Amino acid sequence: MLVYVAATCVLWALSGGLAIGAGLGLAAGSVSPRLPWRTFSGAAITLTRGVPTSLLVVTAGIISIRIPPQRWLPDPFPGTATGSAPVAWAVLIALALGSTGHLAVIFRTAYTGLGRARLDQSAVLGLGARRRIVMLGREAAATAVPPTGARLVHHLHNTAFAALFPVTELFGWIENNANATFDVVRYATAGAAVYVVLSGLIWAAFRVLELWLDRSGALPPARSRRPVLATGAPR
Amino acid sequence: MIVDMLIGLPAQRPGGIVLTVLIAVSSGAIALVLGAVYATVCVGAPRLSVGLQAALAVLRGVPLLLLVFALAQLTTMPLTLTGFLALLLFSLCHVGETLRGFMAAYPRALRDQALILGYGRIREWACLRLPWTLRTSLDALATHWISLLKDTGTLTVLGIGELTTVARALSERAGVGDWELILVTAGLIYLLVIIILIQSLRLLNRKLSPRDTMVI
Repeated sequence: MLVYVAATCVLWALSGGLAIGAGLGLAAGSVSPRLPWRTFSGAAITLTRGVPTSLLVVTAGIISIRIPPQRWLPDPFPGTATGSAPVAWAVLIALALGSTGHLAVIFRTAYTGLGRARLDQSAVLGLGARRRIVMLGREAAATAVPPTGARLVHHLHNTAFAALFPVTELFGWIENNANATFDVVRYATAGAAVYVVLSGLIWAAFRVLELWLDRSGALPPARSRRPVLATGAPR
Repeated sequence: MIVDMLIGLPAQRPGGIVLTVLIAVSSGAIALVLGAVYATVCVGAPRLSVGLQAALAVLRGVPLLLLVFALAQLTTMPLTLTGFLALLLFSLCHVGETLRGFMAAYPRALRDQALILGYGRIREWACLRLPWTLRTSLDALATHWISLLKDTGTLTVLGIGELTTVARALSERAGVGDWELILVTAGLIYLLVIIILIQSLRLLNRKLSPRDTMVI
């Protein structure tokens, strides 16, 4: 069972990392001043949010199952046969695409949530591009961390779709053993318990990150965190 | 091909996108009603509902695919009903928690206003608290409903003939060159339905948002 849990964790970590990277790229593109970038990123976000992950995985699996194994392709998936590595990579990319649009929207909302005044202020401070990105990134992270954690829990659950193809992961183990032994309750309960623990660990990790960001001063002090009333009238 | 995707394979009608939308809408609507009841119980009796909250928290950690599989194996219900029940439970544990959070954040000023107007507890809940909760949580609920519509694809493990199952069945039968077209078409149908849902929710949000701005 440990191999299956490890395989699920590898699949989740690699596809989740890819989704975060692509999500950041699309979020940056969607607030870019250049129209082609904005259009491309907007279309990519709509597309990846609009198509179900199950269909993306099915499509990727059907395409890749006809591809013969390539020697140059690494095989980091525990328990998956070397011959099925292309399918595992294709499923991984499909899983990442399934979460990319959602993460991009989370990141974009957190960035624009800083407010026009704050973004302009950071521009006139005379900071270099790198320092400005780090500063705004840390401030936006405080808003983005909780929904990102929730999305990555959902992403963990989506890794179960890999069981539709010859890729080793936890749900495949539950399904195969339950079908082979007819002891559905035992395997479903054990599998559900592992998923609940893994989901809890992701939630806890993001909660710690949230607290760390709060303590390290990425958030403004509590007193100034009151909602601001935008009014047109002078006080 | 397109007819099968819209209304299902000849042996499994209604299916395709019609079944997908029917299951998503019915499970989403019932989950909203049950979620409002759950939120009311949790806010009204927080200590008594600890067990219920813990059960839903555990259920949120279980993948929908596993829930569908377990229900299909452990019950003798028709598969379509099994799929519907799995989606209902999945939706309830997310919607219920969202509504509980927003209902708990109900502003004190509105409660005081209800007292001044002489409202009883039930009238205050029906006329102020519930509408306020639904209006403020609409964005979060919209995100969940989009996800719910996409997650109907999970029911493909039951083979009940919703859109992903139809696309899989047609693409497995199709020759080289045709299966790509089938999967792309299925993707476009999902995309179209989700764009319609997003636009409808945006309109609803705009309609429900307060028009008058407070001027100090």
